[in-house]
Amino acid sequence: MSFLSDIGHLLLTADLWRATLEAAVLLLLPALGGVISERSGVVNIAMEGMMLTGAFFTVVADLAWHNPWLAALVGIIAGGLMALIHAVVSIRFRADQIVSGIAINIFAAGLTLFLVNRIYGLQDVGHVGQSALLPYINIPLLDQIPFLGRVVFQQNVVVYAALILLVVVQVVLFQTRLGLRIRAVGEHPQAADTAGINVYAIRYGAVITSGLLSGLAGAFLAIGISNTFVPNMTDGRGYIALAAMIFGKWRPLGAFVACLIFGLGQAIYDNNSIIHVSQYLLSMLPYILTLIVLAGLVGRSIPPAADGVPYSPGTE
Amino acid sequence: MARGFAVPLGSVIFAFLVGGLIVAVTGGNPLAAYQGLLCGGFGIGCANGENPALQISTTIVFFTPLLMTGVAVALPFRAGLFNIGAEGQLLAGSVACTVIGVKFSSLPAPILLPMVLIGGALAGAVWAGIAGVLKATVGAHEVVTTIMLNYVAQWFVRFLIIGGPLQLPHGFSVSPPIGAGARLPTFLPSGDNSLIIFGLPAGVYRVHTGLLIAFVALAVFAFVLWRTSLGYEIRAVGQSQPAARYGGINVPRTVIVTMLIAGAFSGLAGAIQIAGVDHSLSDKYFNDTTGFDAIAVALLGLGSAVGILFASILFGALHAGGSVMQSDAGISSSLVQVVQALILFSIAANFLRLLRFPNLGRRRAAQPPPGAGAKVT
Repeated sequence: MSFLSDIGHLLLTADLWRATLEAAVLLLLPALGGVISERSGVVNIAMEGMMLTGAFFTVVADLAWHNPWLAALVGIIAGGLMALIHAVVSIRFRADQIVSGIAINIFAAGLTLFLVNRIYGLQDVGHVGQSALLPYINIPLLDQIPFLGRVVFQQNVVVYAALILLVVVQVVLFQTRLGLRIRAVGEHPQAADTAGINVYAIRYGAVITSGLLSGLAGAFLAIGISNTFVPNMTDGRGYIALAAMIFGKWRPLGAFVACLIFGLGQAIYDNNSIIHVSQYLLSMLPYILTLIVLAGLVGRSIPPAADGVPYSPGTE
Repeated sequence: MARGFAVPLGSVIFAFLVGGLIVAVTGGNPLAAYQGLLCGGFGIGCANGENPALQISTTIVFFTPLLMTGVAVALPFRAGLFNIGAEGQLLAGSVACTVIGVKFSSLPAPILLPMVLIGGALAGAVWAGIAGVLKATVGAHEVVTTIMLNYVAQWFVRFLIIGGPLQLPHGFSVSPPIGAGARLPTFLPSGDNSLIIFGLPAGVYRVHTGLLIAFVALAVFAFVLWRTSLGYEIRAVGQSQPAARYGGINVPRTVIVTMLIAGAFSGLAGAIQIAGVDHSLSDKYFNDTTGFDAIAVALLGLGSAVGILFASILFGALHAGGSVMQSDAGISSSLVQVVQALILFSIAANFLRLLRFPNLGRRRAAQPPPGAGAKVT
């Protein structure tokens, strides 16, 4: 029984929930990107590659300029450019979006490793100095709130940004004309087109946004949580984000809940030595949970109707 | 036929051109890079005295599992299913082969070898079958489920051999070796170092009899697809689910059976890697990409047996060539991944419509676009 009480104590520590939120945000950003992209009707399994690209170029820029803000911007843009490839291939050329997504992920893994070797030789990339990391900022007054202050208001700047973005995406998607248009394009592009909505523009915008968000997550991973670039450092997080998106039923808040669940698993492992379950078994959990959700055991998860279907005017 | 070959060939040329451009832009010499690839892949034009026979042998070793997993992706394609899970199914097969090969290591080859191979195929079939059943019963999209299953398998392998039940005691991240009876023999005798073939001891050539199994798998694929009623059903379901249903075909059953067969191919590929090449499960398998390369193989091969054969040779050669390119030309072998991705982009952008895979990438059954008149090759 001491095991259960140990877990109980652990769950009462603010640090655990702080770590949970941090891990969740890393998944939330690409998951939000996935939600936006798929709501507009473009399947996106390429968050992994966009994150990795973002992480790499962030570190390259940060090592060169020692400015985390500029570096993060470079990473965001790099993620956006990767997304642009996905957009052009799958919207302009109406390619299969899953193949394109796989190609992006392979491309990102290959290109970043290739460039590491070209730029830095075969050694490692090098470490970013403490002053050039994305900072952790305590919000005055709010950080004094017992428990909650530690959990929410003593976080990395990206965590605050992500929480704001979460609200923005949720509101834009469900409370604004733009959101209505995005969803219309994802559900019934022909009807949306007839109503005067530019299907291509909406889809390009949505896919590129997913890349920008994934790029930010890559920057956070590289110079917020870590301080260097390691080949394949995303290690499947983009796919966990994909799982979170499905788990959350293509809704921003739902995805956030999923990210928190997945993040909690990560934090419990990282924060303690009392659970003698293999880290590797725990790492399976997000995927198994998502399979259970997909199996319909916890309510069906149904994608937008036109998700994955390339749009060409005049077909119906 | 000419048109059938034009698109994949064009894609490969495009990929090498852009890949060369990337090398040139980053200050490398693309010609030296590709000379290294050619040498490493086919033993042609070697600059540093590499042994051509050894290079070809290495290519064949890479080619073998690619051929089998390529089939495992191509068969579901024909049913309108996108099996991204070949990697997970391969790992399931490797795990099963290793577990059986270690637990029953004292059994003689005539009993143990079939056990590990069949065990691997069954494990792969189960792994793919999960996705098949979920697709057929609740409509869960196989792309998503197979991605999830890939990661479950990958983490499971890590669990097994890093501090888990399959780790060699006091060893690194590796399982105990499988018994001698569980090993696929190489074509050339490996124990005798006095036997010199093509200038090297026979033992260095790792080409193994799994190659024959791979060819059988390819033949089975072609036979099932074109000469059996199951193959007809698979193609019918792939063409149009409503039409197949109307024609009396049990669509859910066909979906499940297709995935089971595909998984068996992948699982067998994984078992053959253990039984023929590695003889134990190691951390090498964490970074294995065979099952993902298989997607490129199946697409580049236009889902046909002959195409898969050539595409597997290409990708086998690319993998074998990567390390020679790195050592001879100083160009990171990750360029191979870049080229592979470029091939996928260019194929995805123009070939899928040509072959007209219905339902591909769609989450629910949809009618094929009325304008598309291209016949499946």
